[in-house]
Amino acid sequence: MKGFLHALDQELSRRGLSDKDTLAEVESHLLDSIDQGLSQGLSPEQAQQRALERFGPPRLLAGNFEKERCYRMQKILLVCALVSGLLIAYVDSRPTWDDTGITVFALLVTSGIIGLLVQRRPWLYALAIGLWIPLWGIIHAQNVSMLLVLLFPFVGVYAGWALRLVVQKTLHLA
Amino acid sequence: MIGEALKGHLDLLLLAILENNPAHGYAIIETLRQRSGGTFDLPEGTIYPALHRLERDGLLESEWSEGAGRRRRIYRLTPKGQPALAKRQQEWRQFSRAVQATVGL
Repeated sequence: MKGFLHALDQELSRRGLSDKDTLAEVESHLLDSIDQGLSQGLSPEQAQQRALERFGPPRLLAGNFEKERCYRMQKILLVCALVSGLLIAYVDSRPTWDDTGITVFALLVTSGIIGLLVQRRPWLYALAIGLWIPLWGIIHAQNVSMLLVLLFPFVGVYAGWALRLVVQKTLHLA
Repeated sequence: MIGEALKGHLDLLLLAILENNPAHGYAIIETLRQRSGGTFDLPEGTIYPALHRLERDGLLESEWSEGAGRRRRIYRLTPKGQPALAKRQQEWRQFSRAVQATVGL
């Protein structure tokens, strides 16, 4: 059973969803299930085997948690990324705006914050934030080199994402 | 087939089971199995993500209790969960009546 709980913990951690309470709850469920098997005359090994089979594989459970927990929040987050990316691109496209440093800073900070909250597919959020400035540059000035601007949201999102994983790992180990 | 059909109605089943009796996850799955005569025999782990979501939505609340040397998380319906259950029951009655009328059983 320890191996099962460890595998579940790993599956949840991989999705940024590791939670001691959930693991304790699953352990309690499995112990109840094993107790029932024993009371029905199964051997300890058979009872444990049946409890684990009835519970389902760790990957299935972790996947279900991911769907339930992340779906709504990630949709909202994607909308936030799109809106903020469009806003930054709009300000940057104004004829009176010539402060590239602030634009880069805004891209990095926004994408870093989004990256901290993203559970999966960070590249999608980086694109949602950073695609608009290059798109504007290509459409209005045929300047394909503007695609390099995408570098900043990618750096920001992946930095935020990595920071969250490190913090989660540290807190989980503590 | 039954497992797939069950997915869309799991919230209703969980809320209905908890309507009058607070219970922990294992007891919920046992009640589900017993009340359905063994028909609803889905992987037990699948109820936990749904229970946690219903709790986040404020329809359920939970607390840990200690008994017989084991900690268990007990779920109960909240005041907000009661009308949500009634609404889902009403929807189910309409749905099942429509299916019966269509299928002709």
